[in-house]
Order: sequence, then C-alpha cells, then structure tokens
Amino acid sequence: MHHLALYLHFVKLRIRAQMEYRLSFLFELFAQACLAVIDFFMIAMLFGRFKQLAGWTLWEVGLLYGMVGICFALAEMFARGFDLFPDNVVRGEFDTMLIRPLDTFFQVLAHQFILRRLGKLLQALVILLIAGSQVAIAWTFPKIAYLFIALVGGTCFFIGLFVIGATTCFWTIHSLEMINIFTNGGIFMGSYPFSIYRRWFRLFFTFVIPLACVNYFPSLFLLGKSASRGVLVAPFVGFIFLGGAMLFWRWGVLHYQSTGH
Amino acid sequence: MKTFYRTLLVYLAFARTSFQKRMQYRVANLAGLTTNFFFLLVHIFVYTAFYAASREPQPLNLTEVRTYIVLCQAFIMLMPLWGGRSEIADTVKDGSVALQLVKPVDFQAYWLADALGKAFYYLLMRSLPAYWLGKLLFGTVLPQQLGTYFAFAVSMLIAIYLSTAITITTRSIAFWTLDVTGVNYIAHTVITFFSGLFVPIALWPEWLADIARWLPFEGLIDIPFSIYLGTLTGVDIWQAIGKQVMWTLVFIGLGRGIITRGFSRLVIQGG
Repeated sequence: MHHLALYLHFVKLRIRAQMEYRLSFLFELFAQACLAVIDFFMIAMLFGRFKQLAGWTLWEVGLLYGMVGICFALAEMFARGFDLFPDNVVRGEFDTMLIRPLDTFFQVLAHQFILRRLGKLLQALVILLIAGSQVAIAWTFPKIAYLFIALVGGTCFFIGLFVIGATTCFWTIHSLEMINIFTNGGIFMGSYPFSIYRRWFRLFFTFVIPLACVNYFPSLFLLGKSASRGVLVAPFVGFIFLGGAMLFWRWGVLHYQSTGH
Repeated sequence: MKTFYRTLLVYLAFARTSFQKRMQYRVANLAGLTTNFFFLLVHIFVYTAFYAASREPQPLNLTEVRTYIVLCQAFIMLMPLWGGRSEIADTVKDGSVALQLVKPVDFQAYWLADALGKAFYYLLMRSLPAYWLGKLLFGTVLPQQLGTYFAFAVSMLIAIYLSTAITITTRSIAFWTLDVTGVNYIAHTVITFFSGLFVPIALWPEWLADIARWLPFEGLIDIPFSIYLGTLTGVDIWQAIGKQVMWTLVFIGLGRGIITRGFSRLVIQGG
C-alpha cells in the first residue's frame, strides 16, 4: 500500500514536469494523432492496391495493429524509466538509488511516467475498436476477457524487453540499442500476420523473443483461425517473460560497478 | 578567390570533425546496421506476401520494390532527417548554441558541413554494407547505363542538402519552444510519409500521388530511387533534379528567415 501511494506521488511529479513545456506537450499529442492516421493509412493503402495479405483482410490486420499498439504504448508509459536507464548508469546516478531504502526495480519503474503516450494509446484503441466491429468475431464474455488478458500480457512482454535492455547496461554501461529492434521493430513487424515471415524468423519471435504471443496467437484464437490449444495459453507468456526479466534484473544489479562521479 | 578558398577549408574542417566524431562509436554502428537490416527484412517479407496474393500487374514489379527497399534502408542514414538525434535543437536547449554563435561561421553552412561529414561516414559504414548485403540476399536491379549512376549520385547528393535544409528549418522552432519533440514528431511523420519511404509513390492511389508530386519531400527518397530504378528517364530525370534544387533553395531561404528571427529573441539556457 505504501508502495502504491509512493508510486502515485512519483507519477504526479512526472506529469507536472512534463506539463512544463506545455506548448510542446500539446503539439506532441496532436502530432501523435496525425501519426495515428498516417501510420495505419499506409497499411490501408497497400490493402487498397493488393486487396489481401496471406488470407488476412485489412481489419483483421487492424486487430493485430491495435493490440500491439496498445501494449507498446502502455509499456512505454509505465516503464520508460528502464528505457532511459543507461543514462542513469553513465552518470553514476544508480548509486543514489542503491542507498535508498526501496527496491531498485520499483525505483526505476517509478522514475518515469510518460503521459504523452496517451495519444498513441488512444489511436491504437480506436483502431482496435473499429477492427473489432468489422471482423467476424462474436464478442462473448470469454472472448473479451481473453482479449483483456492478452493486452495485459502483451504490456508485460514489452516492459520485460525494456527491463532486459536496461539490465544489459550493468555490463556494457552504454545502451547497446539492440533492444530497439525488438521494441520499435516489434510493433512494426507485429502489425502484420506472422505467417508471412520465414520459418527461422517466426521460430525466433515465438520461442526466443515471444512477440507472436502478444497479438498474433491471440488474434488467431479470436478470429477462429486456429483450433490449436496452444493459442489459449499465449496471453500468459508475457507474464512469464516479465518474471524472467525481473530475475535477470536482480542478478544484473549484483554486477553493478559504479562509473563514479 | 583566396578568401573563398579559406572559408571552404574551414567548413571542410568541420565536416572532417563530424566524420571523426562518428568514427568513435563503432559498436553503436553495428547495432544500427542490424536495425536497418531488420527493417529491410520485414519490409521485404511484407511486400513479397502482398505480391504473392496479387495477380494483377503492378506499376513496379517485386524485384523493383525489393531494390527500392534495399536502397531506402541503405541510404536513409545519409540524411539528417532520419540519421541521428536533433543536435541543433539540443544546442539551443542546453545553451551550447552560444558557443556556436560567437564563432564567425554561418549557422546553416556549419550544419551542412556537419551533415556532409556525417553522410560520408554513413556512406562507408552503413550504406555500402547494407546495400551489398541486400543485393546479395535479394538480388536487386542494377542500372544499365553509366549515366543513370551519375544522375543517381547527383540526385542523392541534392537529397542530402534538401534534407539538411528542411531539418535546420524545422528544428529552429526550438528558438521558440525550447523542447522540439512535438514539432519534430509531426514534421517527421508528414515528411517521412510524403517522401515515399515506406511505400514507393508509384504504388500510391492516383489522387494522393498527385499531392506528393506537389510537395518537396519526394525529393528525399522517391526521386533519387526512381532514377536508380529507371522509372524516371531522359528529360524527366533532369526535371526532377531541378525540382529538388528549387525546393532546397526554398528551404534554405525559409530557414534563414526563421534563424534570423530566432537569434534576435534567443535566451541562452544554462550556465
């Protein structure tokens, strides 16, 4: 309970700091709305020309797009602190966190809260809602619950990626930026059905980096494209992934050597 | 003539420093190259799947689209718009712009020299490896005539100038807002879209392609690569290059106006 109150306090501070550059803040929200339209419009344009993609219609792909977009926006909103963590390590600021009587994981999590991602979140939500009404899915309660769990699980997956990226800094100090391939690249490749990718690519993004469990397998289930039992457990993979990432963090902290001041 | 020569040497030195600065980050470059290559792969998978499902003839065939994508990922980093952070805005935000203003150099020319040094670095470290890898794996179209290579090189060089001029203009908004994330975001999105980076303009619906032809941004991606692919030929090539030059001049003028006004109201941040 104490942690929650503290977290909310941190969030309040972050929001206030972001409102400092108000004009820029409003502009960015507006910009994200523009991006929203243009980004999905590009996919729609390709569908306009080619009609379908490996048996998927535009709005079925919209379902994929909306899901991965929501998960990523939420993850960035909450866990951006891990994304920016390399800066803390370079400047030796992690020392300060270590001497505070609070868990380091919690401190880094509470370090940032990006209100601006609201723009991206809304866009993805709108696309998901339109897609949900356009595709042939009977939205029964179990399906809605399944979708909800899949979204939370997907958010955990992306947070896990940020955590892993941050943890590697304990060894490399500077960010390797490799993790960007899986975060930014992830939302890009996650916007298309996995069946279009080569086998080795699919295997990698199912078993090593389980991106396919964020939206592709859940969409297969929701759209009734697969009868396999495996797709039912897919939403939970994200939770396990985050759990593993947190263990990795714990281990990584032990290897921290300060860069000094 | 002698002063001209001396000025040129100064900017050449800036370009060289910019080049050397980037040479320090070779591991980061490897990560960047991997990122470029990842996007290249995904784009190619997507287009291959789209083409596989379509029987109708398209304005570009699959090999041409693949070539276009390889070129995009290989040459995108040469342009300040996509290659790297908004250093101009950073200098305003942290106050180091002051150091630049006391030097007797032109603001725009300085950043152009910086961009050229950077472009040369990325040409060696990113473009050539990415292009070679893409060609090896996917088999790209090669221009048949020497003249095409020449025209492509000219057009690409102007694209770098154009990109620099646009970047300086949009980022100089920092003189007013300090934090340019929002402005950057919107400019970036609109420019990226109309440049034809993700979808070649030849594949766009007619009405939208017409709009793109009236905007400056096709000069960044679509014009040089269309020259390379041979979809632009003869007089059209030089007309397109003329358009690039015209827009570059427009943005240099526009940037100059904004910068002059920006300087007059500039408050130096930090200490």
